[in-house]
Amino acid sequence: MLRRGDYLIFLATLLLLPWLYFTLWGDQRAGEYAQILVGGDQQALVSLHQPQTIEVAGALGLSILEILDGKIRFITSACQGKQCIHRGWINLGGEVVSCLPNQVSIAILGGEQRFDAINF
Amino acid sequence: MRCLLLLIVVVALSGCDRPSAHSHKQQMYVFGTLVEVIIWTEDEAAATEAMSQLSAQFQHQHQQWHPWEAGELHTFNQQLTTGKPTPTPDSIAPLLQRAIELSVASDGLFDPSLGQLVKLWGFSDNLVNVTQPPDATQLANFIKQAPHITDLEINNGLAQSHNPRLYLDFGGFAKGYAVDRAIETLRQMGFDNAIVNAGGDLRAIGSKGEWPWRIGIRNPRGEGLIASLQISRDESVFTSGDYERFYDYQGKRYHHIIDPRNGYPAEGFSSVTILHHDAATADAAATALLVAGPEQWREVAKKMGLSQVMVITPRGKISMSPAMVKRIRFEVSPEPNINVVDW
Repeated sequence: MLRRGDYLIFLATLLLLPWLYFTLWGDQRAGEYAQILVGGDQQALVSLHQPQTIEVAGALGLSILEILDGKIRFITSACQGKQCIHRGWINLGGEVVSCLPNQVSIAILGGEQRFDAINF
Repeated sequence: MRCLLLLIVVVALSGCDRPSAHSHKQQMYVFGTLVEVIIWTEDEAAATEAMSQLSAQFQHQHQQWHPWEAGELHTFNQQLTTGKPTPTPDSIAPLLQRAIELSVASDGLFDPSLGQLVKLWGFSDNLVNVTQPPDATQLANFIKQAPHITDLEINNGLAQSHNPRLYLDFGGFAKGYAVDRAIETLRQMGFDNAIVNAGGDLRAIGSKGEWPWRIGIRNPRGEGLIASLQISRDESVFTSGDYERFYDYQGKRYHHIIDPRNGYPAEGFSSVTILHHDAATADAAATALLVAGPEQWREVAKKMGLSQVMVITPRGKISMSPAMVKRIRFEVSPEPNINVVDW
């Protein structure tokens, strides 16, 4: 004989399913950390939730990075072309932006990565 | 009844489980870009060993295949400029052979003999000290006597150049070729589930446990992704775009993919994305189709044996082959209008 509590558990489970689906399989693309690399070696691992500017010494000179609102970007670079700056903000898990001449790269880590790799 | 409900609850919730992570990643800075290798395995020690082997392999290739730094390709290029028959180094021969095949298939739109032209534009030095395009007269003179890969004659391992301006630069193709060799190495070591991602261009084999590999495709104009796709067997995804390496001069963008027909950066497309089994083909084809432009891209794609292609113009107009439409899922809202071309 089912009691009221049994029905409540069953109902709670049914309600829980959509929440679990969106939590575990939903569009969680934003990363948690930025891995900063110089020439392929990790220089720092920083949270994307702590607004700050970071100076990184690369092969040609300084690159300055800005973290704001869970995103990161190059704002100054010693390179000639400044493509790293043109690339703008990145925040998706698996995203990478590299300043090839200055050999400074940022890779977004953490969060539940929706993609295993980003093609560009 | 209670048991039945319990069974439903258990079965339903079990669907929320995720596969436990056995993804081993390592990044390496080589070929002037960041290369990431992902291996899906439970054997961490073997994955570490594979990463170390691949890192050494990439470094060796970079050194041997760099057109302007001391190494076998540089020396080979110096010897070719003499016009005398010269032995093709073992590390270069298979790369050169494949590049010639792809160049011919692309009607010369991918041409690895134009190292001097790439240098003239400053793209061989990663744009260090480049502030403006080369002089128009200098470019016109080069194009008048421009080399083609067909100026290189190879007989019994001896190569002879019939154009003193011929200078091999495998920039539009070496990354793809190296990715193929890396996948070969991984398979020989017993790994059947992996991604080798060289600066955003990649080949994926196998899957991530029960799940396919999920690949995002960056929006060529703007932040974030434009589309995504899944790979669960063996496929390469390569994109060439005008946003990868460029500089602005007097309000005009000059990017790194040079049209061998006129000596200037190719116009017509912002990006070309290719899906193909073979990474070397995908790499060369992405370059060739970006050069081919809106008038010729389908013809060249078919000649190169491609079936899955997406092209995006500077105004954001997207065209795709029918086979590509079935693979792509857009990640922008509202979904863009696409032009599905006859194939």
